[in-house]
Amino acid sequence: MPASDSKPLISLRHVGLAYANPLARLRLGKDRRIHALRDVSFDVHEGDKLGIIGRNGCGKSTLMRLLARVYEPDSGTVSFSRQVHIQMLSLGVGFEGSLTGRENAVLNGMLLGKTRAHMFSRLEKIKEFSELGDFFEMPVGTYSSGMVLRLGFSVAMETEPDVLLIDEVLGVGDASFARKSQKAIEERFTSHHTIVMISHDPNIITGLCNRAVWIEQGRTMADGPPAEVSAAYLRARDLA
Amino acid sequence: MQLSRLWGIVFYRTLAGIKAEGRQNYLGYFWYLLEPALSTAIFYFAFSHVMGRGVEYVIFLLIGLTAWQWYEGTCLAAATAIKAKLHILQHFDLPKHIFPLVTILVSTWKFLCIFFVLIAGYLLLGKNPWPGWNLVWLPLILACQLLLIVSTSIPLAISATYFNDTLTLASTVFRILFFVSGIYFSADKVPAQLLGAFYANPMAGIIESYRHVLLDRQPPNFPALLYCALASGAWLGVGLLFSAYVNRRILKHASL
Repeated sequence: MPASDSKPLISLRHVGLAYANPLARLRLGKDRRIHALRDVSFDVHEGDKLGIIGRNGCGKSTLMRLLARVYEPDSGTVSFSRQVHIQMLSLGVGFEGSLTGRENAVLNGMLLGKTRAHMFSRLEKIKEFSELGDFFEMPVGTYSSGMVLRLGFSVAMETEPDVLLIDEVLGVGDASFARKSQKAIEERFTSHHTIVMISHDPNIITGLCNRAVWIEQGRTMADGPPAEVSAAYLRARDLA
Repeated sequence: MQLSRLWGIVFYRTLAGIKAEGRQNYLGYFWYLLEPALSTAIFYFAFSHVMGRGVEYVIFLLIGLTAWQWYEGTCLAAATAIKAKLHILQHFDLPKHIFPLVTILVSTWKFLCIFFVLIAGYLLLGKNPWPGWNLVWLPLILACQLLLIVSTSIPLAISATYFNDTLTLASTVFRILFFVSGIYFSADKVPAQLLGAFYANPMAGIIESYRHVLLDRQPPNFPALLYCALASGAWLGVGLLFSAYVNRRILKHASL
């Protein structure tokens, strides 16, 4: 059965979202908001590898936060078919420098939606994948930026969300770990996992995704096979 | 399960806060004990030897000041807790009030260390140090004050995320309350017609209760504690509803 025939996990209908403009607070009577999304509609089905393509500033990151339930829309609806666990691939966000790698792995896993017991059961795998060795028992404040990314990526790979949201990131760390992490992400794209990925690069979307949505100035411009959507996006970009 | 996950996050972030405080200075956690010990020694010297007030007044003052500092210092620190963590909140779907809660717990840990030094100092310096069995009420007073702190901090932190002006306003209100909470005087110095207004501030009853238990060998002011618990509980309920309402809106409207 094609993924698109199943009931969608997430459904967006005519979604609009605006930020407050802090520099225009006293300009009464005018629209003081910055509109990031104006009219976005699409579905995410179980098993989808959905690529969201668009230029910088078109509302892609706002859309990710909306899907991650960090924001709620100002207009339109975002509905979820069940209690889905949605996770943004945010490497190292929320780490505490005074805690050890082990403690941060548990804390970060809980921030990502997992229980303490789940994270405890995955700690040895995280230690092994991150290749941190004895540094795993050291405060994260002593890590290099590459080590922080390695730990962040290893934790993210052990949290198994229903929907994984990826913002451009594929490989992280040094050359060797970058290959390993890119392979781990690409394996997700060939498995049953549901993935939503944003990018401004049509080649990445065409190479990894089975469906694509093009967003322009906060509106859905096209939704369909990645090759067709990418071609439409490139034509519009060349004309601009 | 969700609740246990959130408590787990609060626990680890509190642990991180306590560890970070300890590592900030060369003397680490020792400052937790040294700082109040030095303050106590200075107050003791200034009031007892220079101004000629008795040791009992020094203890009376320190109880009021320490309890007040826990209240004001914690509430003002917690007020910026959501705004300071916006970069984290933009990635995770979390109830925003857990961040002020972490600040409160870190601050409370520090307060308890200070309070321990204060009580130890009192036992060493006081004329009639054993406060009697009314000491068993001390955890109740601490719990009432903690509830007051939590109920004040959550709406304050949400409001401060929307409006920077909140912090200036809160500092001014705390400064006024500092002078009318009975830190430098006891309730018997307050004119009878103003007693209602005096006790309307929950901190007045809390500070008085600490002194009853630690200095006066009396039970705490139960009606004042009940009033504090009920008012704080109701205000906490309002704060949690407010927090739930703004949870997915607040980041779109946070001030610079």
